[in-house]
Amino acid sequence: MAPERLFNVARKEFSDHITSRRFIIILGLLLVISTISIYEGIGQYNDSLEAYTEQLQRMEEFEDPYSSWMPSKPSIMYVFISMMSYMTMLGGILAIAIGFDLVSKEKETRSLKTLLSHPLYRDEIINGKALGGVGALGFAMALALAIAIAMLLIFSVVPTVDEFAAILIFGAVTLGFLLAYFAVALTMSTVAKESGNALIYTLVIFFAVSSLLPMFGMMAADAFADAFAGDPPEPPEMGPMPKEIVRTASSGYFVSSASQSVVYGGTEDPEWTAYEEEMKTYVEKRRFISDVSNLLSPQMNYYTVAIAVTNPQIAAIAYSPYDAIQEETPGLADALGRVWMNIAALIVFPSVFFAATYVMFMRMDIR
Amino acid sequence: MIRTENLTKVYNGKPAVDGLDLEVGEGEIFGFLGPNGAGKSTTILMLTGMIEPTGGRCFVDGIEVAKDPLKVKEIIGYLPEDVGFYGNMTGEQNLDYFARFYGMDAKERKERIAELLELVHLDGVAQKASEYSRGMKQRLGLAQALINDPKVLFFDEPTANLDPEGVREYRELVTHLAGEGKTVFVSSHILSEVREVCRTVGLLAKGRLVAQGTLEEVARALASPDGDAVRIVVETREHLPPIEDPAIISVEGNGNRAVVRAKTDIRDRLAATLFEQGLHVREMRLEEPEIEDVFMAAYRR
Repeated sequence: MAPERLFNVARKEFSDHITSRRFIIILGLLLVISTISIYEGIGQYNDSLEAYTEQLQRMEEFEDPYSSWMPSKPSIMYVFISMMSYMTMLGGILAIAIGFDLVSKEKETRSLKTLLSHPLYRDEIINGKALGGVGALGFAMALALAIAIAMLLIFSVVPTVDEFAAILIFGAVTLGFLLAYFAVALTMSTVAKESGNALIYTLVIFFAVSSLLPMFGMMAADAFADAFAGDPPEPPEMGPMPKEIVRTASSGYFVSSASQSVVYGGTEDPEWTAYEEEMKTYVEKRRFISDVSNLLSPQMNYYTVAIAVTNPQIAAIAYSPYDAIQEETPGLADALGRVWMNIAALIVFPSVFFAATYVMFMRMDIR
Repeated sequence: MIRTENLTKVYNGKPAVDGLDLEVGEGEIFGFLGPNGAGKSTTILMLTGMIEPTGGRCFVDGIEVAKDPLKVKEIIGYLPEDVGFYGNMTGEQNLDYFARFYGMDAKERKERIAELLELVHLDGVAQKASEYSRGMKQRLGLAQALINDPKVLFFDEPTANLDPEGVREYRELVTHLAGEGKTVFVSSHILSEVREVCRTVGLLAKGRLVAQGTLEEVARALASPDGDAVRIVVETREHLPPIEDPAIISVEGNGNRAVVRAKTDIRDRLAATLFEQGLHVREMRLEEPEIEDVFMAAYRR
């Protein structure tokens, strides 16, 4: 494989994408929605910041019973949480739109045969197409992030170095998610003889892994938990109720609401402790099954990783609801470390589809 | 320049090309004839390095195609049947994209493309390729096949979409290219097209080479499935008496006219016999079968 031939194909594909009406319309829509949601996100961030400042002042003025529990300073990464929801829909559509006819259209118009009569190998064509598509999606993502950062700066919200790194990681994770659907679309484009069929196959997979799979995962988790872990443990009937602080956090349209109970006073009942241990084991088993099935869904992996990047604290609570609460907000590296399987899945999913595309394209009958 | 040895391609257990042995010399215009589905396009795809043979070998300019397809593609030009282009690009942009694969610099590409577009009368056409008529696409196809100034050209049904003027121009172009020493391999199922431009032909049927040589040689080879029989047409002024000769197979007579089927050309002996009998010979000729009929018969076999 010669780099100059590969880049010649990739250059042409990239240029085709970014000048195509389809790409421009969807990207335009994505950027408009992105701008509006970032604007709203900045408003919410400023409100949270105001509330945080007020809370700090109140803590200084009064004797607060929970003075040991410092409120955490809002992060500008909250601004990006809303980006997740429309990225999974519009971003997914953009990725599918640029990939579904990449090969099938060439078969339909017979341009593939003409191209193959010139001195280049098949792998240079398919790799060049993939590279061009990745470049176009990277361009779209870079544009969305650039607008987001520009808006932050316009509203005098200056990210710290850590936050800037988190923004870049969020962009990379989002790109990884987009690549998953681009890879599916490219595979279907190679399998199908007609672009219409390629689009239908891609959409079927899109909805299967984004909606059906998590649902089946939950059903499987219930079924397996019942079969192997039995019924959920019953709480003890008697005993002193501990005082609890229930922390609930939520974000995005999908995720996640995570809650945590913290016992801060009272005598610990051994029955309660045993119940909590049993419940923890039961929930972990159930969640393990659900998590394994969710690893096959780019959406679920994306939500999990993106939440870890945009809101490590929620991610930490969601990840281990029964662990002791941490006094300090977990770092980005810690949060990413907890979701390494999801990160790996986000890499493996498109890689498998790209590999399948490669093999099929190399063996394709071009008569 | 082009050689195949027992070239075979099998699709789903059925041979599309079956043990093809072919040889085309340098500078020849070779017509590859055969009905639809005979295996012509499959042979060209193997010769151009686009598909690998199931068995046998093929060579272009001494290079074994399956072993070094890229090297072969550098010296050949190929016009596929129903040639396709990128519809979102103009003819010039399409040619520029293909030209980049030959390592041509920008100036070289620009000059070559301008020259070729003028040659195929598409200079000044600013339309996107998706708006081209089939004839325009075919002409652009000719231009893309010539982009690298190839030594060997493969044309698959080159006149299929051309109007009469386009066909005339194509024939002139092929003659001109052969004059430059290029080898031209034209695949077609239309005999009249091949006989206009080709000096030698090969006839393919059901994946097998039925005959190869000049058109006359091939026609002769195909015309006599029952041996070397010749047909002699005889016409005299007087009524023809019975004709006898050891070489005669049969005589179909009708008054003063007869068609004699003989093992060899016995015109001299026949003329002498008739003269001895005092008959005046008005006509005596070998009847050549119509070449179209011969090929049609071979297609049907």
